[in-house]
Amino acid sequence: MLGFIKKDLAMVKSNFKLLGILVVVYTLMGLFGEMDISFILPFMSVMLMISTFSYDNYNKWESYSATLPNGRKNSVRAKYIATIIMTFIFAIITLLLSFLISYINTKTIPYEQTLISMLGNIFGTLLVLTFMYPIIYKFGLEKARIGIFLIIFGLVIIGGFLSSYLDLSFIGKTLNFLGKYIVLIIIIITILMVYLSYKISIKIYSKKEF
Amino acid sequence: MENILEIKNLTKKYPNFTLQNISFTLPKGMIMGFIGENGAGKTTTIKAILNIINSYSGEIKIFNLSHREHAKLLQEDIGVVLDDAFFPEILTPNDINNSMKGIFKNWDTKMFYNYLQEFSLLPNKQIKTFSKGMRKKLEIATALSHHPKLLILDEPTSGLDPVARAEVIEIFQSFIENVDCSILLSSHITADLEHVADYITFINEGKIILSKTTNELLNEYGIVKCTEKEFQNIAPEDYIKYKKNKYEYEILVSDKKAFKAKYNIKVIDKITLDDLMVLMIKGEE
Repeated sequence: MLGFIKKDLAMVKSNFKLLGILVVVYTLMGLFGEMDISFILPFMSVMLMISTFSYDNYNKWESYSATLPNGRKNSVRAKYIATIIMTFIFAIITLLLSFLISYINTKTIPYEQTLISMLGNIFGTLLVLTFMYPIIYKFGLEKARIGIFLIIFGLVIIGGFLSSYLDLSFIGKTLNFLGKYIVLIIIIITILMVYLSYKISIKIYSKKEF
Repeated sequence: MENILEIKNLTKKYPNFTLQNISFTLPKGMIMGFIGENGAGKTTTIKAILNIINSYSGEIKIFNLSHREHAKLLQEDIGVVLDDAFFPEILTPNDINNSMKGIFKNWDTKMFYNYLQEFSLLPNKQIKTFSKGMRKKLEIATALSHHPKLLILDEPTSGLDPVARAEVIEIFQSFIENVDCSILLSSHITADLEHVADYITFINEGKIILSKTTNELLNEYGIVKCTEKEFQNIAPEDYIKYKKNKYEYEILVSDKKAFKAKYNIKVIDKITLDDLMVLMIKGEE
């Protein structure tokens, strides 16, 4: 399976320049701006991973990979692992840059706040993976893009409707009640979601014909 | 003779096309040419052998093992060139080598770079900068570099110039010098197959219409050219197909000697695989 991960990371490698530019932009905005864009690097790394589906599809890699030893399972597994690796690498880079920016700006580093922010970024990014990958494996990247747009649009509409007509203060109360366990719960939920998503993708891909 | 590949009653249904009861065997140490017009079912058959498609009926055995139950084990020993599918083109041969090292247990880096050198392919150039012929050579180098026992090649010589084709054919011939290895090779360039293939299997409209040794086919089959009057005297059971041209009839016969003896015809043209394909597909019964 290592070979499949190497292939995916090699594909992203050609876009490292873009991520390099984002690192510079993020640092400059952190030093001179007010807006928190700490999500941008992990999120972009996942977007780059998603773009690899498009190259795979263009060169019919799916057909070819199915002929390699355990190719179907390993290519799905590699996509998930490579995405998680990318998310963590760029979340850690963001974390280190945030420490540096805080130190330069105020000479104090808000460790806890920055760590929670990083955790939130990882959760958010992996949430994209969780929803996108099974849809991509089922319908292809182009249809998945439209699908994910419709899902987000639908969620915004439903969220707006619920917040207008229902009392959602219980969510805040529940989060306060969970208190110090919230971080652990988020980690567990993320792991479960990614695992479930992976299992669904494997099931879809192993039956697919190219 | 031990078979490396056995296909029995392979059937796959699509809305507009059906692969019907495909059966043939490929013995060890042999090259089989798999021919047929576009859309005849060559690629579908190859995809079924390689597990790229999976909802079909019939039995496929490779090295005497069911290819579904032992897929992972068998895939280690099969080298593949597909008509139009490979690694993404933003990768380089170096990236392919790094990936394949982690995919095949028997991946041979030295052999891969030797092929790259032989084919004049630069290891650090992205595939997208390669011509169609260079891409094909890279696919062939990749297929050969994990010491497979069976090569399954779908149009491996398309896009290659005659010199490169001869070079590649020579590599295939040296590959089967190891008597444990075989090649299933589908190609439109039938002249290549006449030189290299031990067996020819011909598929048309999803059915196998012929599977014989190349020698048998080229030595025993023939084309009789005659006038309409001569054609009227030939019994239908003595020919396979015929084609009416502007000034003459072309008749495909399966036993030149017997036909000569029966009809006292002195000249029967040797057949080429191209002639065979055209007459079998376009000819009348």
